[in-house]
Amino acid sequence: MAVSIEVQRSRGWQGLIPYAIILLATLPIIILYGWLLYSSFFERVEGLRPVGPFTLDNWRFLWAPERVQQLQNKSPIIPLTINTFVFAGSVAGVVLLVSSMAGYALSRLKFKGRRMFLGGVLLLHSFPTVVLLIATFVVLRWLGLYDQLLGVILVKAAFELPFGVWIMKGFFDTVPWDLEMAALVDGANRIVTWWRIVMPLVKPGMLALGLLSFVQGWNEFLLPFIFMPSGNQATLSMMVRSLLGEGRFVDYGTLTAIGLFYVMPVLALFLFAQEYFLRIYSGGVKG
Amino acid sequence: MRVLLDQLSKSFGPVAAVESLDLEIRSGEFVALLGPSGCGKTTTLLMVAGIYKPTAGTIVFGERRVEHLLPKDRGIGMVFQSYALYPHMSVEQNIAFPLDVQRKIPRPERDRRVRAAAEQVQVGHLLARKPAQLSGGQQQRVALARALVKQPDILLLDEPLSNLDARLRHAMRGEIKRLQKDLGITSIFVTHDQVEALTMADRVALMRDGRLLAYDTPEELYAWPRNLFVAEFIGNPPMNFLPVEITQRDGSLVAVSDGLTIDLPESRRAALAASAPARATLGIRPEDVSIEPAGQGHLSGEVYVVEPMGREQVVDVRVGSWAMRVIAPASFGGQIGDRLDVALDLERVHLFDPDSGERIG
Repeated sequence: MAVSIEVQRSRGWQGLIPYAIILLATLPIIILYGWLLYSSFFERVEGLRPVGPFTLDNWRFLWAPERVQQLQNKSPIIPLTINTFVFAGSVAGVVLLVSSMAGYALSRLKFKGRRMFLGGVLLLHSFPTVVLLIATFVVLRWLGLYDQLLGVILVKAAFELPFGVWIMKGFFDTVPWDLEMAALVDGANRIVTWWRIVMPLVKPGMLALGLLSFVQGWNEFLLPFIFMPSGNQATLSMMVRSLLGEGRFVDYGTLTAIGLFYVMPVLALFLFAQEYFLRIYSGGVKG
Repeated sequence: MRVLLDQLSKSFGPVAAVESLDLEIRSGEFVALLGPSGCGKTTTLLMVAGIYKPTAGTIVFGERRVEHLLPKDRGIGMVFQSYALYPHMSVEQNIAFPLDVQRKIPRPERDRRVRAAAEQVQVGHLLARKPAQLSGGQQQRVALARALVKQPDILLLDEPLSNLDARLRHAMRGEIKRLQKDLGITSIFVTHDQVEALTMADRVALMRDGRLLAYDTPEELYAWPRNLFVAEFIGNPPMNFLPVEITQRDGSLVAVSDGLTIDLPESRRAALAASAPARATLGIRPEDVSIEPAGQGHLSGEVYVVEPMGREQVVDVRVGSWAMRVIAPASFGGQIGDRLDVALDLERVHLFDPDSGERIG
């Protein structure tokens, strides 16, 4: 049940001070997104000031990619988008699957090395990914997954797992033991209990973790860029990068439009699911 | 179904929670495991349920040894202290859960049994609700229905009333007792509240520090406590105790303490004479002491404080250095500091060995 504390609002202009401070602090970010938005509808922007008439030309990549000069010799945007969805979705899927089982085991079962494992998970969580790139490369080569989307999915999921396992353990910890005992007495075995009693109770946590992992996958640039050099299964983040980095001429109009296209799913997720994102830090179960 | 616990023990690491417990529960009997917190009563119940594995000893249901069986194969229903209703399921789904996990019960029969179980505890009208929308008493009823729906051989209740308010607790006490008798189901319940144990159970097993101290009917436990702990634990207000010396005087047996002399009745002499002279702890229940006008009782004292309880009054009397409680009628009009006499019902005097705590005589 939601508990809310009603704060007595101060009257008049004094009540606006907190909002003014928040607005000031977020202004640079708002300007950035605003700039991204309107510069995608103008031919050119000088500083923060748009130049020329309103145009949809920058968005031509959606319906007429063959006419966008910058996109010549590049994979079309739709398969790229699908790749990105597959990548982010799979990362979320793997993270959810492993975290929900590992988190349950860490929360509920007694086994040798449990404490060390928990400590290790925390350590891994604070470990910078970049340090492991070379070792990861060797492992991927050895597995034959180098230059393949599947390989990058596994690597990204692995890097996300310490956080996921830790968060899910926290959610499982909030489910009372009594419920599980009751289910066992009622005739369920351990697996049925986990699936029918415990999992539904950590669903808010699963949702939050799934969304977060999806966004992490969606935003990931470094791993696909390094481990899929041929670009056969490139993702959107790689494309945005290539628009910036190649050639002498950068078409900022198209770049901003594609950039906007790229962040839209994430913005939409945050708009519609922010309630779930917030839960990951409260770790509670609605009863 | 009969339940037999034989030399049942459970340790958590070096800590022994239950030690060599022997207990037989007859078929259809309602037994209370009573004791202060940490006495091992809930551990015992969870071993019977199959949640905990005993460290040693056997558990027999009927003629079958069950200590190696999983909870689901033991034919038990259980009500938890927290009720442990599944918060994401409706009342109907909660009650049906034990049937649903068996997978072999046809839908019409399932629905019929769920409804019957719900009606039995008067929650038939709440089937569509979620547990969070129920009051404590309703949740308790739903938990009972869920425990009974699969028609278990044995019903286990862990502190079933402790989460209810006083009024509701009284009502549910009677209801659970009646339900148990109507169903004739062998039942074990755990409680730390002696009133619950005495009012509901056919027999009470009193435990302390993982050991069984007494196992008897409520009447016997109350009237003939087997040891000092039982005497102290059972009864409210508690029994009055006095360290005494038992000696012969003028051919009769008396208990002497600090200037007080209490004659012991003829009927006890034979049993006590053997051990006299000896130190002992004398006990007498507040209702076995009466207040008499000065000069007409066994001992004389002074009113220390009076606690009116409505139907009766509890009077603290100082007899010498002995602070004793006496149940007096509501009409007793004594004031603090009044001198008076008390008379003991000598047939109801209890004597215990102060070292071993065992009853003597």
